[in-house]
Amino acid sequence: MPDKPSDLVQGTLDMLILKTLALEPMHGYGISVRIEQMSKGVFRLNAGSLFLAIQRLERDGLIDGEWKPTENNRRARYYTLTAKGRKRLNNETREWGRQVTAIARILEAS
Amino acid sequence: MALLRNIATGLRSLFRREQMDRELDEELGTYLEMEAAEKMKQGMGRREAVRAVRLERGSLEITKEVVRSAGWEFFVEMCWRDFRFAGRMLGKNLGFALVTVLVMALGIGASAAMFSVVNAVLLRPLSFNDPDRIVTLSSLWKQDGSHGPVSAPDFRDWHDQSTAFDAMAYYEDDDAAVTASAVAEYAHVAMVSPEFFHVFRVQPVAGREFSPEETKPGSAGAVVIGNASAVNHFGSAVNAVGHKIRFGGRTLEIVGVLPPGFHFPGKSDVWFPSNTLFPDTESRSGHNYSVVARLKPTVTLEQARAQMITIGSRLEQKYPESNTGKNVAVTRTRDDMVSNFRLTLWVMLAAVGVVFLIACANLANMLLAKAVGRTREIAVRAALGASRARIMLQLITESLVMALLAGTVGVLLALWGARVLVALAPADVPRLAEATIDTRVLAFTFIVSVVASLLFGLAPALQVLRVDLNKSLKQGTTRSTAGGLADRLRGTLVVAEIALSMMLLIAAGLLLKSFVALQNVSLGFRPERVLVVESNVLASDLEGQKLATRFYKDLLSNVANIPGVLHAGAARTLPGHASSAGSYWVDYLPQHPDFSKTPNAVFSVVAPGTFATLGIPLLEGRDFNDIDTYNVPFSAIINEKLAKDTFHGQDPIGHVIYWGLDTPDPMRIVGVVGDLRQWGPARSPWPEIFGAYQQHPASSTNLNVVVRTAMAPAALSESIRQKARALSADVPLKFTTMEASLSENVAAPRFRTLLLGVFAALAVCLAMAGVYGVMSYVVGQRSNEIALRMALGASPGDVSRLVLKQALVLTSLGMVIGLACSAAVTRLLQSMLFEVKASDPLTYAVVIAALAGVALAASYVPARRAMRVDPMISLRYE
Repeated sequence: MPDKPSDLVQGTLDMLILKTLALEPMHGYGISVRIEQMSKGVFRLNAGSLFLAIQRLERDGLIDGEWKPTENNRRARYYTLTAKGRKRLNNETREWGRQVTAIARILEAS
Repeated sequence: MALLRNIATGLRSLFRREQMDRELDEELGTYLEMEAAEKMKQGMGRREAVRAVRLERGSLEITKEVVRSAGWEFFVEMCWRDFRFAGRMLGKNLGFALVTVLVMALGIGASAAMFSVVNAVLLRPLSFNDPDRIVTLSSLWKQDGSHGPVSAPDFRDWHDQSTAFDAMAYYEDDDAAVTASAVAEYAHVAMVSPEFFHVFRVQPVAGREFSPEETKPGSAGAVVIGNASAVNHFGSAVNAVGHKIRFGGRTLEIVGVLPPGFHFPGKSDVWFPSNTLFPDTESRSGHNYSVVARLKPTVTLEQARAQMITIGSRLEQKYPESNTGKNVAVTRTRDDMVSNFRLTLWVMLAAVGVVFLIACANLANMLLAKAVGRTREIAVRAALGASRARIMLQLITESLVMALLAGTVGVLLALWGARVLVALAPADVPRLAEATIDTRVLAFTFIVSVVASLLFGLAPALQVLRVDLNKSLKQGTTRSTAGGLADRLRGTLVVAEIALSMMLLIAAGLLLKSFVALQNVSLGFRPERVLVVESNVLASDLEGQKLATRFYKDLLSNVANIPGVLHAGAARTLPGHASSAGSYWVDYLPQHPDFSKTPNAVFSVVAPGTFATLGIPLLEGRDFNDIDTYNVPFSAIINEKLAKDTFHGQDPIGHVIYWGLDTPDPMRIVGVVGDLRQWGPARSPWPEIFGAYQQHPASSTNLNVVVRTAMAPAALSESIRQKARALSADVPLKFTTMEASLSENVAAPRFRTLLLGVFAALAVCLAMAGVYGVMSYVVGQRSNEIALRMALGASPGDVSRLVLKQALVLTSLGMVIGLACSAAVTRLLQSMLFEVKASDPLTYAVVIAALAGVALAASYVPARRAMRVDPMISLRYE
C-alpha cells in the first residue's frame, strides 16, 4: 500500500484554502481538487474538515460565498477571497516562511 | 466586525434552520456529484463512483452533522433542546418535580430572605456621601477594651489636636417633645455640634445650616428639620423655613430642611446646635456624647487611629484623674452601627445555609434514585452515540431547570420571608426596614440556584459516568445496576445531612437553654399588669423643671383616683433599661475623689409609690413621700446590694450618701429595697441609689408613669390620656406595658432562638426524609437478599434488625462527624449564651438521643416493609 495521504499540520488548512482562492473564485470541490493537485496528492481532504474550514473562514469574513451555476448546470457555492482574507493570507504566508526556516535551521543544526 | 458577522450568521441559522440545512445539503450534494462525475470519466459506473467517493471522503450525513455542530448556535440549540426535554421530563414526573421545586424553593427562599436582611444591615453602604470615610470616635476603656460615649472636654481636645479629619462633631440624641402644631408629639431630636453636617456632607434642600451666631452659647437658638416632618407639618420643605416650633420650653425658628432620607443619628428629624439650649457638661468624666468624623481623603483609618491614640495618651498624662485607662477608639460608622448584630446575622445566614445544603443533599439523593431508574435510558442514548459529556450536560440542564423554577418561587417566598424577619427582629437593628429584594439579592438567589442545581445535579450525573453500558442494556431491569458509587454517594449524603442537622440542633439547643434561663431569671419585681406611660415635659431651666415635677405630682394624684388603678408611681428609667451609673460616696465627699477606687451604682429617680407599683419589696425604712420636696434635706433609698457591699451588715438608715448625678448635696438614706436587674435579665443586680423626683427636678422632666391595674393595663390608657391632657397639651404620651418593655430586653436572644429553632427543626425534618428515603431504597434493592434470608430461616425480627442496623451505622457516623463540627463551631456562640456553656453536656446528650431516636423512627417504616417481604413472591419475581 502506498503512503497514506498525510494529515495536515494543525491550522494550515485555512491557509491552503485561502491560497487556493487567491488565484480565482472556486467551489468546494474545486478547492479540494486544487489542493490535492498542488500537493501532488500528499493532502487529500475529508469533506467534513473542508466544509468546516470553509464555514469558519466565511464567518470570520475572510472569504465570501455566492451561489452560481456550474458548467454542467448544477448550482454550487463559489468562494471569493475578501480583502481581509488576502491580508490574512499574506501575514500567514510570511509567518509560515519564518517558522519553516527556523525549524529547518534547528533540524540541520546537528 | 468578524464577531458581529459570526453572530449574524449564527442567528440566521438558528431562525432559518431549514433553509440553512437545504443549502448545506445542496452544497455537499454538488460536491459529491462533481467528484463522482470525475470518477465516472475515469471509467467507473455511477453507483460505483458514488460509493467510492463516500468511502474516500466520509459519510455525507456525518459531514453535515460535523459542519452543523461547529457553530456556536448549535450549542444554543442543543441547550434549548435540553431545556425542552427537561421540561417534558419534569412534566411526566409532575409530582416528583413539584416536591423537588418546593423543597428547593423553601431552601432558596429562606436563604434569600436571610440574605436580604444581611444585605440591608451589613453590606449595603450607608446612604451618605462617601460613607466609607465616615468614622465613629469613642472613648476606649483599656481595661476591658469596651467603647463608650465621650466627654465634651475630651471631644474638644480631640477636635483641636487632630489633623486626620475634614470635620469632627459630637451629638446627643433622644426622643423628646416637639410642638410643631397644636399638640406636642414625640420626635427624635439630635443636639449637634457645628461641623455635624459637614461630616455627612449633607446640605439643606431648603433654607440653610446654622449660622455661627446660632451655635454660640446663649444664642436665640434655631433648628433644622427633616424633609418628612417639613412636608407633614408645613406642606413642603420650602414652606417650613421661617416657621417656629416649640421645644425644650423655647420657641425656635426653622432655618433649614435636610434632604429626604437623612436621619442620622437613629431616626432623628429635628437637629439643633449643641451648647445653646442645654449647656455642655464640662466634666471630663461626664461621658454624654457620641462623636462622628470624616476622614480626610488622603488619610487611612489606621493612620487616623494612630494619631488619635497619640492624642489619647497625651490626655491620659495631662488629666490622670479623669483619663487614666481611657483612650480613643476609631471605627467605621457602619461597623459601629451594626457591631451588636453582626455576629447574630452571620450566624443566622450560616444556619440557613446549612438548611439549604441539607435540602440540596436530599434532592441529590432523590435525583440519584431517579437516575438509577433511568440507567437504561441513558445507556441507550450512549449506545446511539451521545458522548458522556453530552449526557451529563443534559442531566445538569434538568436540575438547572428545576433550580431556576425553585429560584423564582424562592424569590417570591423571600419577599414574604424578609417581611417576617423584619417583624421578628429586635426593633433596634439599624437599617432593618430597608431589607428589600434588590439586584444584589436577586443575583445572590440566582447564584444560589445555579450552585444548588450543580450540587444536586452533579452527583447523579457523575454516577452516569460509571454506568457500564453493556451490563445495563443486557440486564434490562432498573435493579442493582446502581453500582457501588451510587450507594456510597447516597450513604455519604445522608451522613452529611445528619452531621449538618446535628450542628444546627446543638446550636438551637444551646440558645434555647440560654433563653429559658434568661426568662426564668428573677428580675426583682413583678412586671405583669403594669401600664407604662412615657412622657416628656418641656423645660430648659430650674423653674421649668419644677413645673414639670408639679405636673407629675398632679397627674399621679389624679391617676390614683381612676377606678381600676391599684398603685401609681413614676420612674426616670424603667427596670431593665438602666441608663446612668456613676461613683458614690458614703458619709463624706472627698475633695479630690479617686474615681478608680470609688464604687459605682445605678442612679434612679422615682416618685412615691413606685416600689409598691412595681412590686419591689421595701426591706427596711420607708418609701419616699410628699414631704421629700426640693426645699428639705434630700432623702435617698438604696438597694440591698449596695447595703451589703458598703455597709457590711451595719444599718444604713440615717447615713448620708453622695452621688455623681446632679447634685453634690448629701442625701440621707431613709430606706432599703430589694435588688433589681437594672440592665436586663442577662446581668446581675448592681448597687442602686434612688432619689426622690421632687428633689432632682433636672432628672424628672421625662418620667415613665407606671400604673398597676386591676384589669388589663391597656384598658386604662384612654382615661389616663384625658387626665394628662387636662393638665397640659404640651406633654406627649406613649403607652406600653411593663411586659412589652421587658420583652425588648430579650428581643435579640428571642430572635436568635426562634430562628435557629425553626432552622434546626427544618433541618431535622429534611434529614429524616433523607434517612427514610435511603432506607426505603435500600430495602427495595435488598428485597431479594432479604427474601433469601427469610427463606433460609431468618425471622422478621432479624430482618428488621438488619435494616435498622444499617440506618444506625449511617446515623452514628453522621452524629460523630456532627459532634466534632459542633464542638468547633459552637464556640462562636459563646458570646450569645447566658448561664450556659457552649459545651453544655446536657444539651449534647439530649440532642444525640433525640436525633438517634428520630433517625431510628424514620427507618422503622422501611424496616417494617422489609419484615413483610414475602420470600415466595420476591424470589419468583426475579
